Amino acid sequence: MYSDLLHALPDVFAWTNFAAVVIGVIAGIVVGAMPGLSATMAISVLVPFTFGLEPLVALGLMAGIYNGAMYGGAIPAVLLRIPGTPAAVATTFDGYPMAQKGEGGFALQVAVVSSAFGGIASAFALMLLAPPLSKVTLLFGPSEVFWVAVFGLASIIFLLGGNPVKGLISACFGVFVSVIGSDPIYGNDRFTFGQLEMLDGINIVILLVGLYALPPVIDLLETPLKTDGVSSSKLGTQSLWKALPRMKSFWKTWLRGSFLGIWIGILPGAGGSMAAFMSYNEARRTSKHPEKWGEGEPEGVAAAEVANNADTASALIPALTLGIPGTAVAAVMLGGLLVHGLQPGPMLFRDNPDIVFGFMWQFLFGAILLVLLGGSLATNSFARLLNLPRPLLGSVIIVLMLIGVYSIHGRMFDVYLMLGFGAIGWVMDRLKFPLPPVVLGLILGGFAEENLRLALRIGRGDPMILFQNTTSLILVALTIAVVVGPTLKKRYIDSRKKA
Amino acid sequence: MLNFFKKTAIASAMCLTAGAALAEYPEKPIEVIVGYSAGGGTDVMARTAAPFIEKYLGDGASLVVKNMPGASGQIGVTEAANADPDGYTLGTFNLPGMMARTVDRKADYDKESFTYLANVVNDPNVIVTAKNTGLDTLDKLLEEAKANPGAVTVAMSSLGGDDHFALIKLENATDTEFTIVPFKGSAPARTALLGGHVAMGILNISEVAEFQDQLNVLGVATKERSEFAPDLPTFQEQGLDLVNGSMRGFIAPAGLPEDVQAKLIDAFSQLSSDQEFLDAMAATANPVEVVTGEEFKQLTADLHELAKGVWETTPWN
Amino acid sequence: MPESRNSRLTRPETLTALGIIVAAAGFLIPTTALRPISALLPAAMLVGLIVLSVALLVSDQRKARAGEPAKSMTQAPKRVIGAFLLIVTYALACDFIGFYVSTAVTIPLVAWIFGYRSPIGLLIATVIVVGTIWAIFDFGMSQDFPTGRFWGH
Repeated sequence: MYSDLLHALPDVFAWTNFAAVVIGVIAGIVVGAMPGLSATMAISVLVPFTFGLEPLVALGLMAGIYNGAMYGGAIPAVLLRIPGTPAAVATTFDGYPMAQKGEGGFALQVAVVSSAFGGIASAFALMLLAPPLSKVTLLFGPSEVFWVAVFGLASIIFLLGGNPVKGLISACFGVFVSVIGSDPIYGNDRFTFGQLEMLDGINIVILLVGLYALPPVIDLLETPLKTDGVSSSKLGTQSLWKALPRMKSFWKTWLRGSFLGIWIGILPGAGGSMAAFMSYNEARRTSKHPEKWGEGEPEGVAAAEVANNADTASALIPALTLGIPGTAVAAVMLGGLLVHGLQPGPMLFRDNPDIVFGFMWQFLFGAILLVLLGGSLATNSFARLLNLPRPLLGSVIIVLMLIGVYSIHGRMFDVYLMLGFGAIGWVMDRLKFPLPPVVLGLILGGFAEENLRLALRIGRGDPMILFQNTTSLILVALTIAVVVGPTLKKRYIDSRKKA
Repeated sequence: MLNFFKKTAIASAMCLTAGAALAEYPEKPIEVIVGYSAGGGTDVMARTAAPFIEKYLGDGASLVVKNMPGASGQIGVTEAANADPDGYTLGTFNLPGMMARTVDRKADYDKESFTYLANVVNDPNVIVTAKNTGLDTLDKLLEEAKANPGAVTVAMSSLGGDDHFALIKLENATDTEFTIVPFKGSAPARTALLGGHVAMGILNISEVAEFQDQLNVLGVATKERSEFAPDLPTFQEQGLDLVNGSMRGFIAPAGLPEDVQAKLIDAFSQLSSDQEFLDAMAATANPVEVVTGEEFKQLTADLHELAKGVWETTPWN
Repeated sequence: MPESRNSRLTRPETLTALGIIVAAAGFLIPTTALRPISALLPAAMLVGLIVLSVALLVSDQRKARAGEPAKSMTQAPKRVIGAFLLIVTYALACDFIGFYVSTAVTIPLVAWIFGYRSPIGLLIATVIVVGTIWAIFDFGMSQDFPTGRFWGH
């Protein structure tokens, strides 16, 4: 199989195929950087268009967009506190405070280098370990996946913010939104009020744009003359070569984040946001000075960005080998593969090696190109958008939000839904309800329920099915460790202090 | 106010329809509404078929695929059913799903809402078992199901779809009982089978063709062996009368002008003998079986009866 | 000085908590029509929301009794409501009149109302944004935006 890898390389360097990756990365960064537009939307708009293209041109575009967008999402997350993609939510935690301290340029550089690191690690995992890793995916049946979801939900307790009551209200709201739509087993409607448009549930992009992009737009318009916006003159940009040595100490975070991202990527359903949250939590937990996190700690940006790029290529492992996409974007890309007659499955690697392995190379080059293109694009030109007069910036973002949400399914219903969430988001923002629990609740709530109920059906109603194998038990132990561990550690330190 | 605008629009469209029927059809692009996202099986069928239909309609005809995903295709098919019947809006149609939805929920269309053009894809059901079960023949499977009613877990893509109806037919024909585990889509169901988390699965032949080495494929629910996988035996060969599958085709709103209808059906019927089309469909895992006009309508009526019958005895939601 | 009864009830957190309780209770009604297993998770979340909101309500009212003033949600309520209404109007306009017309009007209008008044700047920005969107989405990707339900299609 490794000879197949090398055999596919010349095709990748055909100029049209390589240009596709370059264009894809640039387009991805732009799309990710535009509040309201997401990678899912960009690729779903692109798929029908790729019908007439050569496979490697089409796939190169998609690989580039995916990689680019996962980084691009960090740009507005850092500069405006609007995550450009769902996976960039955790980037706002420390990125925005950094920008306010005048370190926005460094934050973006950390983001681009971390993204590239995660992307490269993930591409290598896809190239070298796809078949064995797809066996790992097979270990996860409904009961194991249920525990993965519980593990992810448990990490909500670290995202509750200063007021746990408000944090829990946010989490309950997120989980409740996740059950809207058809029941995962019986298919009957839940809270759709007869609207067919709601039958498939609330798309994460709709919620995210509403909750995260609308309140800042209102802010921009509310106090148009206030000049606290981060202008590019205050970004504190320095050359990337000078910035790199400051990132030396992040290598542990990068490795851990890459591992988490790859691992979550190969599990179907959860995706980049969960990877970023978990990587952030883990990095903070092991940090020497966790109290600085959330106030502009560069390592926080590194942790989030490395993980959300590390799941890009790995999410394609179950997609290519089993037909089950690891993320929403991978799901759309799977459609793009099918268009070119690439049927997922074990035969795919044998029947179309040049295309499949070429696609993997394109992922790798996409991740590498990120440093070259992202570095100059983001810090030099993109951030200048923020020099726009605030009312103008606000009105442009409003248009982008509408386009981004409308294009997902091509319907206005979603736009109205987004505006509804926007109103809720504004109230939550003003009353300091934390938003991350809503996002995680929406992603994992319904996912946990669906798998729990599938597991119970397989066990014919016997809940013991949930504890019947090693994988499940390990996951239960991990969950308990993550939840109880920090409390015990704190008690231990407190008791030592007393003594 | 809005209603008034709508009515005027419909009235003027009606006038146009009459005019259009006189002129040579088609004189403007034909829109094909696909009820699923770009890249899904139905979408790929529509986009693969489009250039061939253009070829057979002639006169520089052009088909434009428009995706209206949502609610398992129901949003798109409702839109197609309510479009102007002028031949410039067609839609994709999935069986038995579209008929089952008229039974298990409120639908804004019924089987009389359409002009039936052609069913193009017939993807027969297969029964597969996980390798770790040891149930590698149909007889062993049925023996186990009879010995321990409900002990065999069956993965499938949803309730109220072709997989589910195939299982009901199997249970009725063999007097057995299984435990249904409805996943969201066939890929997760197949993955659970590959991992040995469920014992048996009812899927479609296109979905298991690439996985024949990793699963036990016990049989195909067709009358004759499928060209898609000719080495797999049918159930009838094994003494079990089980014929069922998932079908995808094209419809137009009811009340199409007769000449337009004839022209479209003629174009679709030529698909089955176009080798280039058959090859393109095989490459995208779409087993072709073209059924046009009245026959397609009858097929839909039969499946509607089947869905109604199953719903009355064992409602699924 | 203790606040009057009225102003205690119009504190933003109190109002929000009451709103959540009413909405969650309302959503609980349709759960009764569902199968118990279907209703379990949503009902649990709704009950959770109610209980948590009661806790929020109580703590906010305690603060009120202690004389802690409630922070108002905005210094410029008119601007906030105006901005939100404009956004909703823009969405409705896209739906009924058409995307390109509405966008070409909305960008300069919103920017002008909220304080950016350079005619040349507005013109350039509108042309660039609408032009780019058209070039990429309509021309490049043949993506349709709403053409306006008013015009019958």
